[in-house]
Formats: sequence, C-alpha cells, structure tokens
Amino acid sequence: MRIKFLLCLFLSTSALWVFAQNNLTVTGKVTEKATKFPAIGVNVHVKGTTNGTITTPDGDYTLANVPANAILVFSYIGMLTEEIPVDGKTVVNVELTEDTQRLEEVVVIGYGTSKVKDLTSSIATLRSDDLTKTPSGQAMQALQGKVAGLQIVSGGGPGNSPSVRIRGVGSYPGNDGKNNNEAPLYVVDGIFYSNIDFLNTADIVSMSVLKDASAAAIYGVRAANGVILIETKSGGYDKKTEVTFDGYYGYQVAQNVLKMANAEQYAGMAMESGSASDVSNIEKAMLRYGRSRINPNVPDVNTDWYKEILRPASIQNYSMDVSGGSARASYSIGTNYFAQEGILDMKNEYERFNLRTKLDYKTTDWLTLGGNVIWSQATKYPEEAGAWNQAYFAVPVLPVYDESNEAATPDKFANAQDLGYRGGQNPFPTLTYSNKKHLINKLLTGFYANVALVPRKLTFKTSYNQAYSSLNEREVLLPYYLGDNFQRKDASIIKRAITYSDITWDNLLTYTEEIGNHSFSVMAGSSFRDESYTLLEAKGLNFPLGQEQSWYIDQAETVPADDVKDDGTRQYGMSYFGRISYNYANRYLLYGTMRADGSSKYQEKWGYFPTIGAGWVLSEEGFMRDNGLADYLKIRASWGQLGNDKIQASDGALTTSLVTTAVNDVLVSGTTVSGVYSSLKWEKTEETNVGLSADFLQNRLNLEADYYIRDTKNAAINVNIPAVGGTVIRNVGVIRNSGFELAVNWEDNIRQDFRYNIGFNVSTLKNEVRDLFGQPYIDGGSAEFRQRSITGRPLLAFYGYEVAGVYQNEAEINADPIAVANGLAPGDFKYKNQNGDDAVNDDDRVVLGSYFPTFMYGGHIGAGYKNIDLSVHIMGQSGNKILNRKRGEYIWTNDTNVDADLAINRWHGEGTSDKYPSSAGLRKGWNQKMSDYFVEDGSFFRIQNIQLGYHIRGQKWFGLAMPSMRISLTADRPLTVFSYNGFNPEIANGIDTQAYPVPATYTIGLNIKF
Amino acid sequence: MKQLKKYLIYPVAMLPLFLTACHDLLDEPAENKAFTEETDYTRPADMILPIIGVYATAYDMGWECYPLIAVRGDDVNAGGLGDQQDFMETDFFRYNKDYWMYNSLWEASYSKIYTTYSAVNQIELYKENGASAQLAEQYIAEAKVIRAFLMFNLARVWGSVFVPLDFDPTNLMTTGLSSKDQAMQYISGLMDEAIPLLPDMHPRDRSDIKGGVTKYTALAIKALANLELKNYQAVADATSPIIQSGKFELEADFYELFKIKGKLNKENLLEWQYSDFGQGSGDRKGHLFGFYGPQNWTPKVAGLGGGWGFFEPSLKYIKFMLDRGETVRLETSVLFTDRGIAEIKNDPEYASLPEWVSNTTRSGDVINDFVRALFSSGKHYLPTDQYISGRTEYGSNKNFICIRYAEVLLMYAEALTRGASGSSISADDAVNSVRTRAGLNKLSGVTSDQVMDEKFAELAMEWGTRFYDMIRLEKYGELSYDGRTFNPDLTFLPYPQNQVDLLPALKGE
Repeated sequence: MRIKFLLCLFLSTSALWVFAQNNLTVTGKVTEKATKFPAIGVNVHVKGTTNGTITTPDGDYTLANVPANAILVFSYIGMLTEEIPVDGKTVVNVELTEDTQRLEEVVVIGYGTSKVKDLTSSIATLRSDDLTKTPSGQAMQALQGKVAGLQIVSGGGPGNSPSVRIRGVGSYPGNDGKNNNEAPLYVVDGIFYSNIDFLNTADIVSMSVLKDASAAAIYGVRAANGVILIETKSGGYDKKTEVTFDGYYGYQVAQNVLKMANAEQYAGMAMESGSASDVSNIEKAMLRYGRSRINPNVPDVNTDWYKEILRPASIQNYSMDVSGGSARASYSIGTNYFAQEGILDMKNEYERFNLRTKLDYKTTDWLTLGGNVIWSQATKYPEEAGAWNQAYFAVPVLPVYDESNEAATPDKFANAQDLGYRGGQNPFPTLTYSNKKHLINKLLTGFYANVALVPRKLTFKTSYNQAYSSLNEREVLLPYYLGDNFQRKDASIIKRAITYSDITWDNLLTYTEEIGNHSFSVMAGSSFRDESYTLLEAKGLNFPLGQEQSWYIDQAETVPADDVKDDGTRQYGMSYFGRISYNYANRYLLYGTMRADGSSKYQEKWGYFPTIGAGWVLSEEGFMRDNGLADYLKIRASWGQLGNDKIQASDGALTTSLVTTAVNDVLVSGTTVSGVYSSLKWEKTEETNVGLSADFLQNRLNLEADYYIRDTKNAAINVNIPAVGGTVIRNVGVIRNSGFELAVNWEDNIRQDFRYNIGFNVSTLKNEVRDLFGQPYIDGGSAEFRQRSITGRPLLAFYGYEVAGVYQNEAEINADPIAVANGLAPGDFKYKNQNGDDAVNDDDRVVLGSYFPTFMYGGHIGAGYKNIDLSVHIMGQSGNKILNRKRGEYIWTNDTNVDADLAINRWHGEGTSDKYPSSAGLRKGWNQKMSDYFVEDGSFFRIQNIQLGYHIRGQKWFGLAMPSMRISLTADRPLTVFSYNGFNPEIANGIDTQAYPVPATYTIGLNIKF
Repeated sequence: MKQLKKYLIYPVAMLPLFLTACHDLLDEPAENKAFTEETDYTRPADMILPIIGVYATAYDMGWECYPLIAVRGDDVNAGGLGDQQDFMETDFFRYNKDYWMYNSLWEASYSKIYTTYSAVNQIELYKENGASAQLAEQYIAEAKVIRAFLMFNLARVWGSVFVPLDFDPTNLMTTGLSSKDQAMQYISGLMDEAIPLLPDMHPRDRSDIKGGVTKYTALAIKALANLELKNYQAVADATSPIIQSGKFELEADFYELFKIKGKLNKENLLEWQYSDFGQGSGDRKGHLFGFYGPQNWTPKVAGLGGGWGFFEPSLKYIKFMLDRGETVRLETSVLFTDRGIAEIKNDPEYASLPEWVSNTTRSGDVINDFVRALFSSGKHYLPTDQYISGRTEYGSNKNFICIRYAEVLLMYAEALTRGASGSSISADDAVNSVRTRAGLNKLSGVTSDQVMDEKFAELAMEWGTRFYDMIRLEKYGELSYDGRTFNPDLTFLPYPQNQVDLLPALKGE
C-alpha cells in the first residue's frame, strides 16, 4: 500500500518533466528599466513548468520547448516580476522595473501575512541584504542601529547572544532567574524561540520586528517584550534552481581598550595612599624586579595587562545553498560553517555547522504538505570572563612571568602575593589552567499540512514543530601552584547535560473574502505548547590529567556528593486566538485580535489579551488624490494588551531546601524552609500606539513615525526582604515606557548609473515607574550600590549622593561644619547637601540617573556607481548612565590597580582635581558612598558598518562565462566614541563589572550566484 | 482524492476535543520543588531534618560576621591596614553605616534567626503527625537556644533590635524595636522555656546530634544575657548548675584546646562544627579562618595557605599578659612576628622578653613579617602538622568555639564577687581552676577586678567578650587606647543604611 502511494507520488512528479512539449524556441534580451543595463541572472521560465533558464551577462536568453500559448515569467530579486504571453512570438524583450513599491510588500505577521499598506500597527521589516552586511554569528547583531526603538547590546564573546530590547523594559530585569526576561519572542517560521543563536544570518530572508502591542498581541503571553518574526529561505514553485555561495573571512581587533594606570602612576598612587602596606608592596617590587632606569622610584616592571590578555582573532563564515522548485514542489537546502575566535588570549572559540532543508509539496490543488529541518552543531570554548576583571585589577608592577618564583608549576607565572598583595592578581592562571568545552546540538523540525477547504477562501493549516537542544558541557580546571595562597590543589571536572525541548502544535483556520470594496480576512486558531528542560550535573576531583581522553568523572578520585545536581522544569501552554482584518476600498482599515492563554506556570491559569487597530489612508480620499506631494499617507492607531510569562514560575507555597553540614566529622543533611514566598500573576502590558506612514515625491521619500505609551501592569518586581536580605518577587507596580520613533528614508538615482539612498531613525524612550501600590519606593541593586525604583522616576535608577566637588585645603574644611563633623581632609568629596540642613546624610541622596538610553539613533548612507557600491551605517545613544562597578570594587579590595583617568586626575594637592578624591581619600568610607562618582555617562556614537562592494557580472574568464559575483570589504564597528571610563559603553543592565570588549571586525567577502 | 478531502474534515472538526484534553496539563505542578506542604510529616525519623538545618545555617558563618562582633575591644586590633579601611575605622569607633560589613552581619544574623522560627513550625507539624512529643519539644528548645545566641550577639552589637515574633520577616515592617535590655530579658526567658526540655548531658555525649545544644548550653546563654543585664544573681543561678553537673572540665592543654583536640572537647558548651571528613579532597565544610591568619609564613608542612593578616592581638594585651607572667595563654593567643617582637622590645620596660617568645610556633610553623599587622590571632590558627594531607585552606578542619567552660567559671566568679550567692564552688575555686590550667598561682579572696583581668587573659580574641565587659562596667577608659577615643555614644553600631531604607522602625533612631 505504502509502496503504491510512493510510486504514485513519484509518477505524478516526474510527469511534470515528461509532458513538456516541443514547440517554439524563444530568445530575447532583458534590461533594467531605470539604467537600461542588461539584466543579468534573471530567471526566465515557462509558467507552470520547470522549463527555464537565466539571462547571460549580456541580458540575453534562449529558451526552447516553449508552447506557443505559454506565458513567460521573468523574475529577479529586487525587481518586479513580469509575466509576458508568448503569443507565438520567438523574440520577447523585457524591461524590468525595480520593486520600490514597498507598500505592496508582503510582511509576515503573527500566524499569517499582510501587505504593508494594510497594517495598522508598527512593524519594521529588514531583508537579507540589510542583514548580511554584518559579519557576526548572531543574526540579531545585524539589527543594531537599524530599527527605531530597538536596542541591541552586543554580547561580546564568540557565540554569546546580544541582549535585545524593544521599546525599553517593561519587566523587571532578572526575575526569571536567568536574566533574560527582557528578551523578545523570536518566531522562526512559526516556531517560538527565546534564543536564535543557532541561525545563520545568510539563511534569513526577512526579520519583522513587531514593536507595538497591537502587532504582537496575537502571541499573547509570550509577547510582552515584543516579537521578532523570522522567515528563513525557502524555494519557490516554478523557480529555476539557484545556487548561492556566501563567504567571508576577517579579523577582529579589540577597540577602545581602557587605559589603566601604568607602573609610575600606580606607584605614585600607592605612595600617596597613606597605607604602609601599599608602600611596602611597591618597595618589594623594586627589590624583586629592580628599579626603573627612567624613574628610580618605580619598579622596573610595567605590565599592561589588557595588552597581555588580548589578541587579534579570526572570524569566518561560509554558506552554500540551493533553492528552486517545480510546479508542485519547492525546496531549499543549505549548509553553513561559521567559526569565530575570541579576542581573549585563551582557548576561546565558537564553531558552528548548520544543515537546513525546507520542502513544500502541493499534493493536490487543495492539500499542501511541507516541512523543514535545521540541524545545528556548535562547539563553544567559552571565555573565562573573570580574566577581564583580573586584568583590570592586576597591578602594573607585577610581570606576567617571574622566574624567581621557583616553586611555581607548571608555569613560572608571577604571584602578587610575593610582593605582599592580598590576592595573586595574575590573570594568566585563570586563562591557562582552564579548559571548558560546550557542545551545543540543536535539532529543529516541523511538519505542516495546509488544506484549502474552499479554494482561495477558506484554508486550514495544522503544524507540529519541535525544537530540541542538547548542551553537553565539560568544564575542567587544572591544578597549579604559584604560592601557598595562589594555587589550585585539586583538578576538577564538571560534566553537565542540559536538554531543552519545545513542542508546538498550531491549528489555524483562515477565511478571506472580497465583496466589492469590502475585503476582510478572519483567522481563528489554537496553539498547544509543551516546554521542558532537564539538567544533570556532577563533579569529579583529581583524575589523570595528561590526556583529554581520561577526563571523565569515572576516572576521578573523589566525586563530592554535594556537587551532584539534577533539575528540570516542564510547562504547558494552551492558547486560542483569532483575528479579523477589514479593508474598505484601501481607505479604511480595521484590525482586531484576541488571544486566550493558559499556562501551567501560575496559580492564575488563564489570561486574555485583546487588541484593536484602525487605519485611515488619507491619500486614497478624493481630496488628497493627485496632490503631487504625498503618494501615500496613512494614519494609524492601535491599542492592545499582552502578557508576560517569563517571570519565574511562582512557587505559591513554602519550599524546602536541602542543606548539609558537619556533625562530629560526618556529613549530614537537614532541611530549611523559606519563610517568604511569592504568589504571582501574569504581568500585563497595555500599549497604545499612534503612527503615520507616508511616501512622498514619487515614492522616493518614505517616512514612518510612531508614538507609543506602554504600561506594564502587575509588574513583578524583586522586593528586598527586610532584615534577612535576598529578594522575593511580588506583583507590585506599574511601569511605563513611552517614546517617539521616526524613520525616514530617501532613495533615488542620479543619471542612469548612479544610485544612492540615505536614511535615519531616531527614537526616544522614557521609562517611568507609575505606581508601586502605595509604597514610596522599592530598593534594588546591591546594598552598597543602591538602585531605587521611585514612583515617577525610571525603574532601578541609580540612587545616591551628588558630588559637588573636592575639598581643596584645610581652610575649606574648617569653614564647613559638615567636613569637620565627618573628620574630612583635603582630597575628600564634598557632597551636595540637597535638603540644606546641617548634615550630609541619607536624606541627601537623590536619583543619579538611569541605565535606559533616552535617545537612540541610527543612520545609513549608501551609493552605487556601475558595479561599485558603498554603504555606511552609524548609530548611537545618549541619556543612559553606567555604574562603574569596577571602580566600585575598591570598597572591598583597594590594593589593586585603577584606571589611568582616575590615577592621573586624582586630587593630589590644591587645585589638582575637583572630580576625583585623593589616593588616601579613595580608601575612606566617606568617599565610597554611592555617588555620581561611580555613575558615568553612557552615551556613545559609533560607525557601525562600512561596506564596499564590487559586482562582477557578464564577465568571461578564459572563455567561460562567470557567474554573478560580488566581492566586498567590510569594516564592522570600526570606531566608537564615548567618554565612559570602561572599554565598552554597551552594558545591558548598566552595571559594568566585566564586559567583553567589542572588537572591530574587518572582513573580505565573496558572494556567488548561478 | 476528493474522498480523502471529505475525510479530512472530520479530524478538523474533532480538533476542539483533542485540544480541551490538553487543558488538564495546565494544572501540573512545577518540577523539582520540594513543596513544604507535601512533606510527609508522618515519618518521625525525618523530624531531625529541620533542626539539622538550624545547625547547618548557624555553622555557615560568613567571614565578616565574627570580626565585626569581636573587633572593638582593647584585646584586638583590626589589622589589615590598607584594606577594609572601614573595618579598621570601626575598630577606632568611627562608624560608617554604609559599610557593607554592617549590613552583611545584620542580614546573616537575622536570616539564621528566621531559620530557627521556620524550623520550629516544621517540627511542630511532625509532632502533630505523631512524632515523639518529647523529642519535638527538645528540638524546638534547641532551635530556641541557637536563636538566643544569635540574638545575643545582635543586641550586643546594635543595642535596640527587632525581636521577631514569627517566621515571616516582612512582618518587621510593622514591628517596633526592643531595647537591648528587653532583648536580653527575652533571651533569658527563652532559655527558661528551653532548659527543662533539653537533654541533661554534655553536648559531646549526645548520640543524635553530637556537639548539639544541651541544657547546659541554654544555661550558659542565660548567664551571658543576665550578665549584660547586670543581674548577677541570675548569672550565678544559671552557672551553678553547669559547674555542679560535673560534666564539664577544662582541657588541660590550653594550646591544643584551639586545635584539632578542641573539636567537641569536654570544655565546650557550644561550638560551630567544621570538617574535612577525613579526606584530602572533596566535600569540606569550613570557616574562612584565613581572615585571621598571617599574611606571610613558612609553614612546617610546605604549600599550605596563609591568611589575610587581619585581626591583630593588641600590644596592650600582649604587655598585659607579659606583666602577669603568662606563658601558655599568651603563646596560644598570639602568633608573633619578628617585627612584632621588636615592636614590643621598643618599649624599654619590655626590652627583654621570655625566651619562648618567638616567631616559630610550638608546632614549628614560622610566622614571617608582613606589613599589615605585627601579630596574628593564635586561637584561630591550626598548626600545619595537624592538617589532613591534601587540604591547603588555612585552618581547614578546625571548629569554632562559641562558649566554653572557662567563661562559665569566670562569669560565676564575677557574679559572686559582685554580691551574688552561688550554690556551687567558691569564686576563688572557680578562678583558680582557670589559673591553674594557665600555669599561674592560686589567688585567694578574689576581687571583681581580678576576675575581670582573668577574663581578659583567658578570653581575648573570643567573641568580643572583653569589649562588652568594658561597656557593661562603663570602663570606657580601657577602650581608649593606642589612638582610640571611646565615649558611651559609640557603644552601638549604627543601623545599616540598607535596613534603614527598608524598615520604618529604624528610621526614628
């Protein structure tokens, strides 16, 4: 039976090839209408068949076996497709026009598609051309600076995902336990993901950012942080086979490396510190390493630790894919290899190999079946992030190697404890004696059936998708000895097996109808989700080290029982949703969706999320017709509600934890019970958006403007538990994000062969806590670096004292009762006495700023002349603050290095500084109070990307016609300008402890199509 | 094929039925959570788990907690010059409520106190479900004793504190403060509740939780609280039964009391237990003794880690001990460096020192000079020849003694010299037993001052006993030494800023 069916399938497919008849041979020339240039590589085929060809470098084509009554289809990416009846002619010449009608463009919306002109909400779409310019393993990186209202913060290390925020943060960061609850929902070909690190940028056809609630509401509970819809490459029916090769190779170089104090500056600071032990450390360094010949009061060592731990690193990416289709089948198959080294000088790499297939098959005129499979296999050697921190703090008077550290093994690294420092400081043991390897396998599969119940009117689609990821992590720490207090006695190995499985089963019924000027479409659907996670972890100590093959827990001498972990979660979701969109004469648009979401995560199981939207196309009204200025003008408004279930599952009850302790030298177990528990509800986001879409001057200028107000109600916030510390999540507030977004693009040709485009986008963001259910404020952050959420102010604003200056001399101290009362000395901070009373105390603390940028901008300019094209992207932001937590570390340990700006501009005598305290002052509690000394301006401007491309088409080399090729040179993020004293102003949560520096990437790329 | 299409309609129509079946899944509980409500309270053997949890939390003492409790006396200095400056400032009575250690000690103490409350709730549930009522009462009493010791230290450091009434800390938002005296009375009363329910034995004789709390631990804490209240008769009444019981003895070798031999020693009434579990690697429970250790040393067993160089015995204490002709107690309490010895000798009155004063310990570890401090605390030092081979952390496998019999004897003696009547031995006998162990001659007709000197000599570097004694006796002059100026306004630390911001009751202070 099954064989019969397959045979039938085979025969019906092959019939397509067999029945081609031998009629005419048609020739012709295809040109680009605007330039009159020959159009090369244009797909020409007989409609309804696979009989086709592509145009030669001269734009010519010859196609045999064309029935006299056939229709020829001419298609090329970026051009409008032309269909020309043959009508017995043997020569058919065609001019193709560029597809500038963006309004006719079809964009992906939730569970369906829509024409841009029918949208009532704010959706920004980027196509593959915009994406592939950025050499990165992370597709989202390519969106940085390109979409108004979208903030991308680079992830740094190879294989790390950037953090993505759409229109600010509605949810309190970090309360899902994994710190990624701000992340938007990614929907790749209909499947939900919270992370798309497996995707190859070149495989993406389009990315649609659903910015407002109205657009995203169809995704209900998962959409509170916005939704990004991703369409991957697919074939096409009646499409000539197209083979594409894409590749680039390049180098990454660390940018804006923070200047630390050099040995002379550092020694100077130590001498002024008033601390005998710090002076003694410098003296010991001089004894041990000699005195500098330039300045005999400085040790003859001047280590620039950042320079030591950084390296130039390679990045490369190659993909190859084939796509096409017959009248009934469409396919796309691709493979991709991506490899990136980290700029940290250790085994820090990421390598990914992807295989991808997508098939659609029209079995009958009413049934289409299809499926796709992506297999992604990645190996990641993660960075030892701690090394950045250590390099920051390591003193410059310590060399990397110290041959006199004779007992050191296996390498003779220097140990700062030999100079009297409390820590060993040298980052090299961390980098060298660590071997971490993560194997990441992801398998994403899907199958769908599409049934046309009533042709072109009523369709039913059911799709079943499963995404399965398995992470096998091995973390080996090797023993070393650099000193009694700077050693790792035991070799340790941790093995961790993590799996994630996300199953989605969607069922959709779509009905479209057009009656006169009324056209509408109705969709109803359901979605079932089953998401699970498992973790199993164990640790072993002391195993044979010589060979990696022995690195198994089985080989370990000791397996500590306390270090075995087993964890898992499983959550189910059930949703029903529907959508109505209505269009009257392309003039009035109405839109509405409703979603009911059920989740096993909370005590409250069901949430309901409605939205409505309306649009008025003014340009279709009689009074606006043919006004000569606006080709298209639409005003739109929408309102919607979303839910957020990324908040960690609430226990809703007391939970018991297992603890162990020693009783009479025996390890025994006991239990403790938390005294505080959370009972959580859904977070609900409500958003109103008004916008304007317009095209002017023969569609050359287009503009999108939006204003939104987004309120997160029942915001789940980490509330500090009094007395005992720690936090508990409670639904205790309303957070509002509001802002204005504007995107303007201009595109034109000057003469025939020069084309250019220019555009910019700006967005403002105001983040504000609207209500805390009666409480005046909620504290967050750490006790020493207070962040406070106050009604009317931004969420988690930095909160502390304002530095008014530095006391310059004794006279100034004596004249100020506050200075006298606190026993201050010249070189100490003078804090602003906000309330004007007779003391500076906790009542004088104020909001010092927020980590949300209030203004973000991006821009691009592109130009092409004949075969050369050039594009430049810029971006930037301002209004945000960064907590320089590295400087803050001085509170706990102050025998470490400081940044050069602080060392040079410290107070060291009257008139030397009004900004930084003296070296001795830095050590005083008075100057260590949370103040705007620690909180710096996070504004930056960046040249995001420069790309120069050269097309080779219509060339014959050695007598052979060459395929269409493009060679490109790219400089990604070559320049960033900022004032912050760190080496990367991109800090997602505004607290800079150890950001991975953002490298500039220079690549050469090649794209071949045939 | 048209037929097939017809059939397809049915599954589509049936779909709603399939989907509603999925709804039940929404009621599945979360994975990997031990829901307290699902604990099987009918298994009496499990009733020990919550009380073990109480001990585990108490033993898990952050490195910053004890130093802040103990540093302000004239027996010890902060050391650690150049690092943790506000720790040193605190030693000099210049307080900073923004300093992280203050908040850390506060939170650590209260979170442990709350653990004792939730454990009591759990034990009561076992009791309701048929576990031995007597054992349940005993465990509850044990939790109260641990709570009392934590509260005792909190009240000594901050004066007025919260006395929590149930296991939910958020209720503190609407709770007022109790004065120090009220807190001490609460502790004393809590011990009265506990004493009759606790085992009448030495902690190390307990078979279920060896080294756990017994009746005598509760009596000792009651004595400590009443000493703070200057209720000397109550002190004598609480200490007498401990002495009379005959279950406690001074460890003959004072030096070894603070080493491995001191673990579950017959002298100890309360101690935090740590262990390497007899193995050179793997599971380990330990306290960060490194804080107290010398920054530079040549250990007898090479390759073992030193310390951070904080917590320096004061010159005042050392000279006081030399004046008394102390040997073993000074040797045990202080690790000397050459620089420290030279500093003592700088004072012409101490130009010649006894021969045994050396930078090499009795056990053969050599303490080298380091800049931060002149001396290190010997009571927090474990000789390297007592380590389990393979372990390198300073003081690994050593216990932390909280209350020992010598202190009980001296409290008893003090109470008697201040007019209380004792039902046990004489004050002379109590003091002399301590002196005999220290190799000193016997006294007769001891005075209060002599007892206080004896406490100074015996209990230096232990839990700030000296500092709080001087506060109680208002001998503020003693605390103004080596550049420090004390006045009664500086008795208590200011409340941590973080807590002031959270708890309305602290704002008024």
